[in-house]
Amino acid sequence: MKKLDFQNEFEKIIDRNYSSKKIQPLRKKAFDKFSEIGLPNKNLEDWRFTNLNHFLKSSYTLSGLEHSDPSELDLSQFSIPNTDTLVFVNGHYKKEFSDTIDGLKLLSGQEYLELKNWSLQYPSECPFELLNTSFMDSGMSIILEESQIIKKPIRFLFIVSAKEELMISPKIHIDCSPNSSFTFIEHQVGHSDNFFMNTSINCYLDRGASLDHIKIQSNSQKAVNINKVHVKQSRDSQYTFFYLALDSQLSRLDIKNDLNGKGSECSLNGLSLSSENEQLGSHIITNHYSPYCSSSQNFKNILYGNSSGIFNGKTVVHQDAQKTDSKQSNKNLILSNNALMNSNPQLEIYADDVKCSHGSTTGALDEDAIFYLRSRGISLMNAQKLLMKGFAVELFDVIKNESIKTFIIQEFENWLAEKT
Amino acid sequence: MLRIKNLHAEIDKKSILKGVNLEIKPGEMHAIMGRNGSGKSTLSNVITGRENYLATKGSLELNNESILDWTPEKRSLEGIFMSFQYPVVIPGVNNTYFLKAALNAKRKYYGEKELDSAGFLKVIKENLQELDMDTKFLQRPVNQGFSGGEKKRNEILQMLTLEPKLAILDETDSGLDIDALKIIAEGVNNYRSPDRSFLVITHYQRLLKYIRPDFIHVLIDGKIVKSGGKELALELEEKGYNWLDS
Repeated sequence: MKKLDFQNEFEKIIDRNYSSKKIQPLRKKAFDKFSEIGLPNKNLEDWRFTNLNHFLKSSYTLSGLEHSDPSELDLSQFSIPNTDTLVFVNGHYKKEFSDTIDGLKLLSGQEYLELKNWSLQYPSECPFELLNTSFMDSGMSIILEESQIIKKPIRFLFIVSAKEELMISPKIHIDCSPNSSFTFIEHQVGHSDNFFMNTSINCYLDRGASLDHIKIQSNSQKAVNINKVHVKQSRDSQYTFFYLALDSQLSRLDIKNDLNGKGSECSLNGLSLSSENEQLGSHIITNHYSPYCSSSQNFKNILYGNSSGIFNGKTVVHQDAQKTDSKQSNKNLILSNNALMNSNPQLEIYADDVKCSHGSTTGALDEDAIFYLRSRGISLMNAQKLLMKGFAVELFDVIKNESIKTFIIQEFENWLAEKT
Repeated sequence: MLRIKNLHAEIDKKSILKGVNLEIKPGEMHAIMGRNGSGKSTLSNVITGRENYLATKGSLELNNESILDWTPEKRSLEGIFMSFQYPVVIPGVNNTYFLKAALNAKRKYYGEKELDSAGFLKVIKENLQELDMDTKFLQRPVNQGFSGGEKKRNEILQMLTLEPKLAILDETDSGLDIDALKIIAEGVNNYRSPDRSFLVITHYQRLLKYIRPDFIHVLIDGKIVKSGGKELALELEEKGYNWLDS
């Protein structure tokens, strides 16, 4: 999909009669900016290792109302027990297939923007973010009231299933008022071959709020999945993020997490699993702007075939962020001669009283451990799988909700079971 | 049980074993003694089928069948077990999971029903008791954070659980205090039976005070230069290895 192709699709979205006219200036402004700067290329440091060839060759079309019928889909195959689910089919919210959640303030994209006087709270000049704003859909947002605690996790299930190669651009806002808390699951299922999912998730955690954010991406092999996550945290808030990326031709996660208030904490974790030709990238920036905050980044990749992985993690401790406690870790397993990992852990410190650590390791499975297991009668294949499981398992412990944890472990086991 | 004839082996093209002959019959316990670098560990690695340990000449048979082209797992399933000199740490895999996987691999190989968690626990608890080990061992990742003695006990626990026909104890006494050594020796002694054989590899004769081999062999520069009964260990303790150098 080249720059010009987006122009055609953009004219279509502007001509749509079922969306509010008030939203058009936002779209136009973003698209003008996108037209000016174009798609990113490898000359940009942040895009150096991301190969957009497949994306550039594909041609995606907007998802219209004709793509919103899930009647041929068996939704039960995507269920996670003990969660309340809102279903989005090809970018369209399907109320009739969704759970009703008592006491939850849900706003459509337009309602949310109206509340914010039609201005974006998370402006960005990244080309994909501009595309997201130009084409934004599935704009369901959640606002938690002060001290509102929702025990049952809420899941947004995004299913892409169509004959056409669709472009879907969810823009979601999660605003947590002071001392509120809940678990939010973003579950993306690629049920069609090639598509372009360009997501923007924006979370604001007010004082003392706590948000567990789980992102599960189980994609088809040709999917392109670009994800932006912006998080702003006020004092004493807690944000935990867990990311599971399975397959897709290109999957890229960009998280920017700003610790703006004293005593706030964030824990960012990810496991990316490839099978053959995928590119799986995690680009993380944690900004410590205030004192007494703690952060961790813990990302792992298991790479097969000709796939590649990227970890581009940065922790910036700004001048006022004394007593910062930050950890950064990236570990990768390479299981074929052709798989490639680019790991770039970075630490920038401008304060003098801080505790920061970072590290990165990339390698094959431990030969001594494999022999040890085989010498106990465990086959080579099972020995390798056991070690892979041992490698990943530590990450699952950050998932507090048991149902979700069980589901994610099962997804991992299913992925593992396919490996021969 | 195990028959080794004129076995030559090399690692990275370096010749280590230079014609080893050894026959272990059912129920027998043999000890191989020798200095560091004499080829003791190479011998155990060749028997267990470790990659990079290449047999270049001679034969290695288990119950009259050549095992040189068997995978390590097949050798294990057919009844060969080695207690490692340096047991390997396996992060993230708990001991129960590992032991159960190993035991069930064996049961599956012999067409027996795989054990569920309850069935497995029953088996393992007896063995834990035998070795004076706490059940908390089972929940920890394999060998992670284990002391030297705990690691070796964990090896013997695996032996008791997998019930091999031939157990190789590679420097099992190293890193053990005297109490741990006694417990392990007792575990080994109780495990002896007319159809189980042992090959004990050791640098010192300390272990041989507690477990009594029927035969002792001295390995020097890749060859067995002397064989004898229990008395040979005492002689070695007294005189060292130098008197055997040619």
